[in-house]
Amino acid sequence: MAERATTEQRLTPAQELLELLGPVDTFHDTTHLGAFGMPSGAMTGDMLEPVAGATGATRFGPLEKVHAFWFAGMSCDGCSVAATGATTPTVESLMLGAHPGVPRVILHHPVLNMESGPYYLQPAEEAIAGTLDAPYVVILEGSIADETVASKLGGYWSATGEEPWGPGGELRPVSSTEWIARLAPNAAAMIAIGTCATWGGIPSAEGNPTGAMSLMDFLGKDYQSVLGVPVVNIPGCPPIGDNFTETVAAVLYFLQGFGPLPEFDELGRPAWLFGETVHRRCVRGAYYEEGAFATEFGDPECLVEIGCWGPVVNCNITSRGMINGVGGCMNAGGACIGCTMPGFPDKFTPFYSRPPGSLASTTVARMVGSVIRPLRKFSNNNLNREVRWDRQDAMPSAFSREKTEPSALSHTGHKFYDRVRRRSDTARRDAEVWGKRPDESPSGGSPRGDRANI
Amino acid sequence: MCFKTLPVEFDATGNAVLRGGIPNPYDVTTTMPDVGMSEDERSARIEALVARNGHIKDLNMDPVTRIAGALAVHVTADLEKGAYLDSHSQATLFRGYEVILMGRDPRDAIFVSSRACGVCGGVHAHAAAYAIEQAMGIKPPPLGTVVRNMTEAAEMGYDNPLHLYLLAGPDYSESVIKSSNPELWPKAEAWKCRNEHIHGFRTMADLMTALNPLTGALYREGLDFTRLSREMVVILTGKYPHPENVVPGGVSTTLTLQTLNEYHSKLGKIFDYAQRMMAVWDDIPEFFYEADERYQFVGYRPTNQIDPGYWDDPYSYDATYENCNTWGEKRWSTPGVVLDGELVTTRLTDINIGLEEFVEHSYYEESRTSRYDSDPLGNPISPYHPWNKRTLPMPGGRDWKEKYTWATAPRWDRQVVEAGCYSRLLVTAKAQKMPASDFISATGSSMRLLVPKGEVGEREVEWRVPERWNALERNRGRAYHYLFSQLVALENLFEAYKLFQQGERRVAALNPSELEKAIPKDERRSVGWWGAGRGWLTHHLVMDNGKITNYQIVTPSTINASPRDPWGQPGAYEEAVMNTPIIEDLSDPASFTSIDMLRAIRSFDPCMPCTTHVYTGDGEVTREVNTCSCGGD
Repeated sequence: MAERATTEQRLTPAQELLELLGPVDTFHDTTHLGAFGMPSGAMTGDMLEPVAGATGATRFGPLEKVHAFWFAGMSCDGCSVAATGATTPTVESLMLGAHPGVPRVILHHPVLNMESGPYYLQPAEEAIAGTLDAPYVVILEGSIADETVASKLGGYWSATGEEPWGPGGELRPVSSTEWIARLAPNAAAMIAIGTCATWGGIPSAEGNPTGAMSLMDFLGKDYQSVLGVPVVNIPGCPPIGDNFTETVAAVLYFLQGFGPLPEFDELGRPAWLFGETVHRRCVRGAYYEEGAFATEFGDPECLVEIGCWGPVVNCNITSRGMINGVGGCMNAGGACIGCTMPGFPDKFTPFYSRPPGSLASTTVARMVGSVIRPLRKFSNNNLNREVRWDRQDAMPSAFSREKTEPSALSHTGHKFYDRVRRRSDTARRDAEVWGKRPDESPSGGSPRGDRANI
Repeated sequence: MCFKTLPVEFDATGNAVLRGGIPNPYDVTTTMPDVGMSEDERSARIEALVARNGHIKDLNMDPVTRIAGALAVHVTADLEKGAYLDSHSQATLFRGYEVILMGRDPRDAIFVSSRACGVCGGVHAHAAAYAIEQAMGIKPPPLGTVVRNMTEAAEMGYDNPLHLYLLAGPDYSESVIKSSNPELWPKAEAWKCRNEHIHGFRTMADLMTALNPLTGALYREGLDFTRLSREMVVILTGKYPHPENVVPGGVSTTLTLQTLNEYHSKLGKIFDYAQRMMAVWDDIPEFFYEADERYQFVGYRPTNQIDPGYWDDPYSYDATYENCNTWGEKRWSTPGVVLDGELVTTRLTDINIGLEEFVEHSYYEESRTSRYDSDPLGNPISPYHPWNKRTLPMPGGRDWKEKYTWATAPRWDRQVVEAGCYSRLLVTAKAQKMPASDFISATGSSMRLLVPKGEVGEREVEWRVPERWNALERNRGRAYHYLFSQLVALENLFEAYKLFQQGERRVAALNPSELEKAIPKDERRSVGWWGAGRGWLTHHLVMDNGKITNYQIVTPSTINASPRDPWGQPGAYEEAVMNTPIIEDLSDPASFTSIDMLRAIRSFDPCMPCTTHVYTGDGEVTREVNTCSCGGD
């Protein structure tokens, strides 16, 4: 009983780190800094104010602006790159407040901002001190390193900036992990972008030396932002840029009072984006249905047997594309390796080998397909003919090969098929058409006399 | 004789041998490079200046923004003389990708190592594929290699404008000039752009306004063109930045005529834009040189550069180490090393055996081993060579005299070399070995490039090897590299159409079950030589019994962001910063922004996910001497 009580009270990794490092209340003294790291003489957000700022008449809700702190943990910057590729909406349009009703996003992003050094981190300091002028969200790309290990050795795995938080107010590198732990309690939302931040990803794969983990694991299951929102997860390695910007926009629509509350699934994913498996909207999915599978790299059929996990992976890339609607893994010929999933990568390796579970379903699909494919081919042949060609028994294409006319058997079959198709066609009912000349003969070519059956 | 420090000679047949009679030839105390100023001399000089000068500042810019990833740069600046006396480049991120790869199936290497960097798409995936192919003896069919070239040329189409307009561009924009270099603004307003007829900006001031972040026309256009090029990539790879189509022995792209036609139609929009890009980045250096000659030295380093080549000849590349000098020299971008402006080799074996990686100032335990004393051809290699290196991370405190970065110090022939996409132009121009092309030719001192007609007419342009490599020339080189890479894209697209005409459709050597059977049981060593947005990229692989037993990645930013080496030679960023004059207005020391250093650093296009940190504390060195470069932490 006593042991159980201890478990319940166990600290989250974030709380553990904060306990180790202690509270902070002093920040960079900018009077000593002068203009160091401020080549444009102003913070990026202030520089954009004349363009991005909204007036009372142009904003539709309570918020004029929202700060967004983008932190990179153990990341490859691929999520930043994916976000800059987004087109619906674009990152720059969010930063410029260029969407009616959407509060402008003051993005603090290391790849985009003009200020460097301590000035870059000043707004984050204000957020911790509680003096920031607007609500803030934190966006994490990359996994959270277990800095308790590194800090015991006097170092860090992944750091962003320095603060006077060392012994006696000395400057020391501050890990991204520490920033996240200090910013989370007062954030309006914590958003994990990409598979490293959402589920640990590659840096937390088997054999990793850094104890890397996801944002959710770091903050624990009881975490809620000041708005009562648990960690929002937008996975993918890389994620689709639009999945990220659209989710941010959807949350802002809601906060402004004109969008619905966005629905998140039990893992905190935007449900409308990740509710389906990627196979269901895969451009090759119908090959699976017909039991046609790629055997060589580059083949056009379903990729399951050359290592595709699409049927069991939540993702929308085959319908949304990667950038501006273009691309998509299976669209191009890449097998799904499960990069949006919590089990990535270790539950999907070795790559380029078929998922064992696919054996049963591809066998069934082959059996069903062996029946369906010939039937479809049969109908397809019929539909590839003009009505006029049927009447004339001739198809005039110069591209056609020698034997183009259907056999007598196919012809009869097609006629039968058409009869079945027209069973419910009300045009076959008796009623006198009196608004035109009576039908004398079918137009065009020599009659074959079966037009009524078409 | 390509090595001057390492005791390596060549016999009559061109094989490398160690000069006899030297015990421990690779020992760092035996074989030493010529070092300009030693660390002790540098420290003594700074201490002497500090003792009599209150204008010395010790600052750490952490983080440096508008680069990719986590970099901090520490500087000791003399604000009276306008000089950076010292600099330390700090990579502040470690993720352990090499460590994660060890012990895995080699088939995992492509998709796992791809995640080492998401800034340039697909470069690591390709380098891993080349390493696996060499280890396993798998030669891709020509169309496989052509698709890779098309992918990675289009990748550069994203990378170069991203750097020039989103990362470096704002440093030359109205917003920065008016604030940090106000004396330049009236000059810019009066300076008539020579290339107005191409880019449309009448004065330099107009052009600088267009470079303003987020709102400037050039900034926005650059961002849009990065998207267009990424569309070209994902047609082939499915995903960006991590491709889904790279397989050992080729690609898995389902190539149809539509694929080629879409690529073609998007590529067609790029050439007019390339003309404007080169016109802009030709005008910017000319304006700065005329405004103040000292801009010649912002970011200056001697011409010491290295590149392993890029984009293979689909008919020569055979995935073997044995023939690498032959197929290497047939690459669209020629491999090579340039020291003091002289091309010393174009052979991949020389490039490989001269490579060493040191960790004296990095957060790792000593990493060398003597597992191998030669490459598979018998050429000698160092205990510090990547094939002999282990990755033993050891986070710890920061101390400028000891350890201060997660980057290592790669050296070639124990010299400090630089990597960049512009190194491709430099080596290719000097070597004159590139494939024949209607669009691209190397003259020995320049690259001549024919820009095909778009909506504006065809034009021949020429990139000349600059006298001094500085920040402005790196940027100019990048603009010309943009065109170079897009012409390589065009040449390879034509090759793909030609192969299609011949009925060729095969894009990979093996199917998945053949691939599994091809995994060897014996020990194999290999190296994937490839390129990234910043130049050089290698993956060194060792596998045994079908398992990865060592994996070592050397990226361009590891080379450029490197800390001091065992002999105290500063890394490329550090050296470039120390050569940079402080030109910005220092009449009020509080207005010191360090823009000159930022221009120097950003001109390398740092990419730290694969690798640094400028330090800005607040103090006068006179007070903080014991916590900065001048003393132990």
